[in-house]
Amino acid sequence: MIRRAASEEIVDLAGLTRELHALRDEAVAAARSAASTSELEELEVTLLGKKGRLTVVLRGIGALPAEDRPRVGAIANEVQAAMRAAFADGAATLRARELGERLGAEAVDVTTPARPVRRGTLHPVVETANRIAAIFGQFGFQVYEGPEVEDDTTNFRMLNIPPDHPARDLWDTLYVDVPDHLLRTHTSPGQIRVMQSARPPIRALLPGRCFRYEAVDASHASEFFQVEGLMIDQGTTLGDLKGLLDQFAQAMYGAGRRTRFRPGYYPFTEPSVAFDVECLVCGGSGCPACSRTGWMTILGAGMVHPVVLQYGGIDPERYQGFAFGMGVERIANLRYGVGDLRLYMENDLRFLEQFR
Amino acid sequence: MRVPLSWLRDYVDVDLTPEQLAERLTLLGMEVKGLERWGAEWHNVVVGELLAVEPHPRADRLSLTRVTVGEGEPLEIVCGATNIAAGQRVPVALPGAVLPGGRRIERTEKMGVVSNGMLCSGDELRLTADADGILILSDTAQVGTALVELHGDVVLDVDVKPNRGDALSLIGLAREVAAATGARVRWPDTDPVERGRSVADRLAVRVEAPDLCSRFVARWVSGVRVAPSPDRVQMRLLAAGVRPVSNVVDASNYVMVELGKPIHTFDAAAIHPGVDGRPTIVVRRAASGEPLETLDHVHRTLDPDTLVIADPVAALGIAGIIGGASSEVGEATTDVVVESAVFDPVAIRRTGQRYGLRSEASLRFEKGQEVRLARIGADRTARLIAEWAGGTVAPGRVDTNPSEPDRSTVTFRPARVNRLLGTELSTDEQRALLSRLGLESESAEPDDRVTVALEPQPLVVRTGADEAVTALVPTWRGDIAIEADVAEEIARVRGYDVVPSILPHTPMPGWRPLPLEVRDAIRDTLAGAGLSEVVTHALVSPRLLDGFALRQPVPSVGGEDQPGGQGIEVTNPLSRDHSVLRQGLLGSLAEVIGTNRRHGREDVAIFEVGKGYAREGDETCEWWRLGIALTGPAESAAWNQAERHWDVDDAKGIVELLCQRLGYATPRYAADPDEPILHPGRSLRATATDPTGEVQLASVVGELHPDVIERWELRTDRVVVAELALAGLAGGQMQDVRSSPPPRHPPVERDLAVVVAEDREAASVADVIGESGGDLLRSASLFDIYRGAPLAGDEKSLAHRLVFAADRTLTEDEVDEAVARIARALRERLGARLRT
Repeated sequence: MIRRAASEEIVDLAGLTRELHALRDEAVAAARSAASTSELEELEVTLLGKKGRLTVVLRGIGALPAEDRPRVGAIANEVQAAMRAAFADGAATLRARELGERLGAEAVDVTTPARPVRRGTLHPVVETANRIAAIFGQFGFQVYEGPEVEDDTTNFRMLNIPPDHPARDLWDTLYVDVPDHLLRTHTSPGQIRVMQSARPPIRALLPGRCFRYEAVDASHASEFFQVEGLMIDQGTTLGDLKGLLDQFAQAMYGAGRRTRFRPGYYPFTEPSVAFDVECLVCGGSGCPACSRTGWMTILGAGMVHPVVLQYGGIDPERYQGFAFGMGVERIANLRYGVGDLRLYMENDLRFLEQFR
Repeated sequence: MRVPLSWLRDYVDVDLTPEQLAERLTLLGMEVKGLERWGAEWHNVVVGELLAVEPHPRADRLSLTRVTVGEGEPLEIVCGATNIAAGQRVPVALPGAVLPGGRRIERTEKMGVVSNGMLCSGDELRLTADADGILILSDTAQVGTALVELHGDVVLDVDVKPNRGDALSLIGLAREVAAATGARVRWPDTDPVERGRSVADRLAVRVEAPDLCSRFVARWVSGVRVAPSPDRVQMRLLAAGVRPVSNVVDASNYVMVELGKPIHTFDAAAIHPGVDGRPTIVVRRAASGEPLETLDHVHRTLDPDTLVIADPVAALGIAGIIGGASSEVGEATTDVVVESAVFDPVAIRRTGQRYGLRSEASLRFEKGQEVRLARIGADRTARLIAEWAGGTVAPGRVDTNPSEPDRSTVTFRPARVNRLLGTELSTDEQRALLSRLGLESESAEPDDRVTVALEPQPLVVRTGADEAVTALVPTWRGDIAIEADVAEEIARVRGYDVVPSILPHTPMPGWRPLPLEVRDAIRDTLAGAGLSEVVTHALVSPRLLDGFALRQPVPSVGGEDQPGGQGIEVTNPLSRDHSVLRQGLLGSLAEVIGTNRRHGREDVAIFEVGKGYAREGDETCEWWRLGIALTGPAESAAWNQAERHWDVDDAKGIVELLCQRLGYATPRYAADPDEPILHPGRSLRATATDPTGEVQLASVVGELHPDVIERWELRTDRVVVAELALAGLAGGQMQDVRSSPPPRHPPVERDLAVVVAEDREAASVADVIGESGGDLLRSASLFDIYRGAPLAGDEKSLAHRLVFAADRTLTEDEVDEAVARIARALRERLGARLRT
C-alpha cells in the first residue's frame, strides 16, 4: 500500500534508503573537500541542521508502512552517525591544518635578545650584615639597634675607657656640637644599651653604622658598618665564644676552615682575643694578602669586662659573658674578593650590580 | 715598637728563628705587625780593606784608593771622604750594587780616573747618621764578607697595646720572650762610676706641682765631650727608628728604647742658679702666655695647664713632651743634667694633644711609668754618657720622692679562671704559668679578698669556699689588678689554643621581634621592582644639607623622632664634604645619580634606607627614611620595545607597591607646589594608612627642580625622587593579611565619563565617586582622560570604570540607582556632568 507523504512525494523503502545513502556519500565527500572550517560548518548546517536536508528526508519515514519504519529508522541512524563522523573528521583535519598554518605563520626568531625583566641589587654591605645576623640568629642571637650619635659616656666611659685614657687612641673620634656627644666609633656602646634593657640570658647582635676620624683610603673608611655580638649568662665561657665563632667561620667561609684565638686588647673585654681564620687566599701557606702569616684576623672579642657589666647593671660575680665586634666591610671583602673599601660607598652601579 | 733582634739579645737569649719568634710573640699578645730584614737593601756591598790612600792626580778634594775585597785584583776607587787611611776596613759598594733608596753604583770615570765602585758612608747605607765620613768597620771584619752578614739585622715591628706601656721597651719585650720560652732576662749594668763633687752640691730641684710630677730624679755628668755616638750605638738606634743626634742625646734615647724610660738631658750651663747659687730646676705650671722656643725651633706660647721644667728665670722645656732650645745639649756642652721623672699621664696626654705634639717620650708617659725606673733610668743614662762622651758622673742623685712602692697583690680563684676560660687548668698549673711572668703566688689567706671589678663601684668579694690564690704582681705590671686580668695572663702564657671550642648550653632568651623585618621586606620589594640599593655617607657637606633641605620635612610616623630640629655638626671634621649629619636622603641620592651619569650610565634607579639626624637643644634625634631616585630610561629602547623614561607615575607606582606589600590602603595624593627643590607642577605628598586608619606612610614625591639638576651637575634632564617615612623602618613587624573568600557572584561593571574643569584634580573626582558609591561599589579606576571636541577648551573627561558587587546577584535597577547617585554627587559637589 502506498501512502503519500506531506510533500506529496511518493515514498517507498528502497527510495528512501537510496536517498539516505546519497546524502551520506555527499556529506562524506564534502567534509573531505571543504577548504575551511567555516565552509565545513556551513555544509554541516545544510545537511545535518534542524532544517537540513537529512531532516527533510527523514520526514518521509512517517509515510512508510509501519513494518518498514524500524528498518529505515536503523538505516537513518547509521547514516546520521556516519555523516556526523565525517564532519567531525573533516573538522579535526581542517583544524589541524589551520593550526599548523597559524603556528607556521607565527614563528619568530627565538634567538633574539630577551625583553629584560629588571631586578635591582641589594648593597653588599647591608646584605653581609644581614647574613651575619642570620647566622647568629640560628644560635638564638637577637638583633638590637642603638643610636649613631652616641654620648661619650656610653661610647667610652662605660666601656672601661675613661677620659684621657691612652686606649682612646685606638678610636679616632669624630665629635659633634652637642655637649658630651660624638659619632659612635664602634657598635660596642650597644652592649651597654642591651644590658640596660634586657636581663640575662642575653644573646644580642647589634649591626650598625660607625664613624671614625680616619683619612679614607683602600683600607680605611670614615664611615663603616660593624656588627657587635653579646652573650651573657651564668656559665658563658670563652670556650662558648670559640665554638660559636668557629661555626660562624664555617657558615661564612665554608666548612673546614682552620681558626685560632690569640690574645688581643680591648678595654671592655678581659681576657681579650683576636679571632683569625686561615687565609682565604693562600689557605694558610702564607701570601701577601695575609702578610705571610697564613692567617687573617676577622674580628675582635673577649669576655665582657666586669666594669662593663657593672655599668650595664649586671652583677659580674653572678653573670659573665662574651662580646665580639666585626667590621662588616672586612667580612664582605673576604666574602666577595673586594680589595678597596671605597667601592662600597662610591655606589658606582657597575660595581653594585655585580651583587645580583 | 721597632725591635732590632741583635739588640734584644742583649737582654734575653733567643733560640728561635725570627719568624718563630714573631709567631710566639703574636700568640702571646705582642702582635708582630712586620718583620724587616735590616740591610736587605745592601746588594753587592762587601767588606774591603784599604791598601792605599793617595791624592787624586787631578782633583784636590778627592782621594784615589786601592781596596781589596778578598778575591781578584785590588780595585781602584775614587773617594771624597777625608777620614780614611790604609789598613782600615770599609764597606765597598761594587759595580752593580744597589744602596738604600735605590741608588745604583756603576763603574764610572771621575776626573780622568776610573772608579770601580764606591766606599760607603754610614748614612749612604742608612746604618749611622754620618754622611761625611766613610763608615770604618771593625778590624776583625772579614774582608770580602757581605756587609749584611756583618751588620744586617732583623727588626720586628711589635704592636704594643695601650695597657702594656711596660712593653714599650726592649727589657719589657725580653720579659715576654722569657715568659714564652723559659729563658732568663739579663738586666744591663746601670750603676755609674761616681767621682767628684756630689750632685746635691751642684744642683737644686724644686717641684712646685707635685700633683703633676710625683718624682723627679736628676744626675750630673761633668766634663763630657759631645760628639757622634759610637757607630754601634748609631746603628742600633737607627734600626729602632731613632735618629742619632750626639753621644749625650743618644744615651737618653738608648735608655728610652732599652728600659722604656723617657729621659731628658740639659746643658747644665744653661740652667740659671737660684738664690743659693746652685743651678736650680723648677717643675711648675706655665704662666699664661709664657714663651718657649722648643727643640724643634718653634716659638710657642704656653698655657697654664702646661707643666714645664724651668729654671728660676724661664721655662726650659715642656715636661715629658719636648725640651727647649736654650738648654739643648750641643758641641759646647761640658756638663750635662740628666732628668728622669714621673709625670701625671693624663696631664701629659692632654698637653700633647693641645700642642699637637706627641713624641716617643710622651707616648710612654701617657701610659704610666713604673716609679723605680725614674731612679734606674737616671743611673743608666749617666753611665752611658760617661761611657760614650767621657766625663765624670757626680755622686748621688737629686731625688724629690725616693720612696718606691711595693709590689701589689691580686687574689684569684682558679675555679673562676677556668669558668671564664672554659678550661680545666689545675691550680698548680695556673700558678706555674703566672710564675713565668714573674707573679709569685701562694694560697690565699682567709681574709684575702678577690677584686672582681674596680669601677664604677669596687666589687670585692670573700674567697668563700672556693680555693683562692694570692699573687704578687711585679711593679711593672700595673695593669694586673682584678681576677679577670689574672685569667688573661694565664691564658696567654699557656696559649689561647687551650680554650676549647664548644657550643653554648645555657638558657636561650625569650622571643624578640626582629627589627629588620620591615626594612628587609621593603628592600627586597624595591630590588624586585628594579631599583638598586646604595649606601651613602651620613656625613655630608653643609652645601648638600642646605641644597636639598625640604621646606616642609616629611613627618615621621609610628612614633619615631620627628625631623626639623637643628643640624648636628662635627667639630673636628675630616673635610668640609663630610662635616654635618644629613637630615634627609635626597641630596646623597642625587650625588649618586651624578656619579653614575658621569660614568656614562643612562638609567639610574636607586634607593637607600638610612637615617636623618638633628638636635633639639642638647637632645639628639634620629629617624629612619627611605629615599628613592630615578632617572633615565625605565625601559630601554630595544628592537622589541620603545624607550620609556622614569616619571612621577612610576614613583607613585613604587609607593603603591610598598603599600600593598605592607598592607596599607592605596595612598592619597595631594599636589605640593611649594618645595623649592622640586618641580612645582610635578610634586606631591603621598600618605597611606593601615586598616585602622592610622597613618603609616608619609612621603614627598616629585621631580627635582631643573635648577637643582643644573646646580648639582647631575647631567640628566629629569630626576624623580621620593623620600618616605614608613612606620616599620625603625624596627617594625610585618602585619598578617586579613583574608576573605573570593566573591561567588559576578560583579557588574559600568563606565562613567566625568566631564570636569581642567584644573580639577583626578583625586577629587575619585573621592566623590568613592564617598557616594555606597556599599555596592567595589572599585573605581580611571582608565582614560580625554580633552578636545566636543568638550570645551577648559574641560576634560575622566573616564572611570566602576565595579559593583555584593554577596548576591545584583539587579540592574540597584546598580542604576548607585550610578545615578554618583552622578548626582559629582554634579552637585564638583559641577561635573556626565558624557554619554
